[in-house]
Amino acid sequence: MHNLVMKDLKLGVSPLFFFMPLLGALMLVPGWLYFIVILYFCWITVPNMFGGFKAQNDLLFTAMMPVTKRDIVKARVTVVVILELLHMVVAMIFGMISLRLYPGFKYIFFAPHLGFWGLCFVMLGIFNLIFIPMYYKTAYKFGGAMLASVTAAMLFAGIAQWLGIQNSYVYDLFNGAGAENMGLQASILIAGIVIFTIFTMVANQIAVKRFLKVEI
Amino acid sequence: MLALDIKNLNKSYPTFQLKDVSFQLGQGYIMGFIGANGAGKTTTIKSMLNMIQPDSGEVHILGRNIAEHETGLKQEIGYALGGFDFYSRSKIKKLTSVVKGFYTNWDDETYYSYLRRFKLDENKKITELSTGMKVKYNLALALSHGSKLIILDEPTSGLDPIARDELLDIFQNLVVDGEISILFSTHITSDLEKCADYITFIDNGQIINSCEKEEFVESYRLLNGAESQLNQVKEQLISYKKNSFGFTGLIHAQDYDPSSDIKAATPSLEEIMIYFAKKESI
Repeated sequence: MHNLVMKDLKLGVSPLFFFMPLLGALMLVPGWLYFIVILYFCWITVPNMFGGFKAQNDLLFTAMMPVTKRDIVKARVTVVVILELLHMVVAMIFGMISLRLYPGFKYIFFAPHLGFWGLCFVMLGIFNLIFIPMYYKTAYKFGGAMLASVTAAMLFAGIAQWLGIQNSYVYDLFNGAGAENMGLQASILIAGIVIFTIFTMVANQIAVKRFLKVEI
Repeated sequence: MLALDIKNLNKSYPTFQLKDVSFQLGQGYIMGFIGANGAGKTTTIKSMLNMIQPDSGEVHILGRNIAEHETGLKQEIGYALGGFDFYSRSKIKKLTSVVKGFYTNWDDETYYSYLRRFKLDENKKITELSTGMKVKYNLALALSHGSKLIILDEPTSGLDPIARDELLDIFQNLVVDGEISILFSTHITSDLEKCADYITFIDNGQIINSCEKEEFVESYRLLNGAESQLNQVKEQLISYKKNSFGFTGLIHAQDYDPSSDIKAATPSLEEIMIYFAKKESI
């Protein structure tokens, strides 16, 4: 497992994608639709990275190593999660700076409080839940999986944001009075992380089942 | 001990079928796996390595079942399927640093000795290597983790005669100690005449014959006769070709009557392959 992750980090993933989390600096744009900052990972990093695996014939290379198919999937999911966490952590740091830079700013979209990051975790969880199992039907075709998973993630973000604007309860929870309640914000974040973890683990399980049937 | 023992391997595709593929390779020998393009060589090799799931059958490598001991066995097998076309813009050095992390028995000293022997520069990128150099790099990797069985899918295709000859010499040197066994598939039959101990011939997904090289060619006769003599043997012939002088046909040695006046010769491997292929087109 460790050697497979190292293979991706050293060979498979272009160093550029380890710098992409710096896009988190976009959190400094005041009052922006911050879901977009995280969505850049799904829009840019994922298709380019998986396109790279396909072009480099990574599947056959990996299959030739003394590893199980189960570990091949698990390692790839781990790499995706590492990159997702990098994006999240950097964006959260810039989010904290942003909140301090513009005190008293009147946010229309979600402000980058902890609760919002919980929603971002759910969004990435949905992305993983759809992308990973669909990709491992073939372990090289990523177009359809991309389209379906990005659409689902964006739909979630869109609906959540719409509720945040239209529904006063949701507004209060994330931008209004609830934003000052640290306990509430932290609980939403933890709930988001739990959902992300469960969705990603389920994605991994389904992907393994499908990949075992893939003929290399 | 058997390096390789394949029993009744079956795999069905909509347009192709591996049928009851069985053969054995003893430790310390070189086996040539021959057959036309599309005969099932790569499918057999991939099934052996668990890269595709056979419908039925068993594969034992070095005495152990690959289905149960896949990762452990793959530590002891070196294999190359086609060319080395992975991460071709990366340097040998970088690829090796990744590959060695997978093997518990990796030996740097052996690796560097093979690099020197094969004149491989580890600062070169894969894309800068010739076809022959890629095969050698693959071999260097396989040998540096102490492979006991080396499986190569068409290692000699695309090589010039000098590089091929050199590679075959390397193969022969590797098996001298009796520890390493090599299975290599090819459609270049002259390679096998030079270095194989055993021949396994696959045609249309079925093993036609698997035995010692001399025994293999001796089990067939190539007949040369006048057209008028064709009817005497037509039924027994595997296939035949007519020409202006009469006919040429392949026959099983046991079906050939030495007392007949038809000229018979020992066929080459290539002739055996060609006449079997012709049988299907009839």
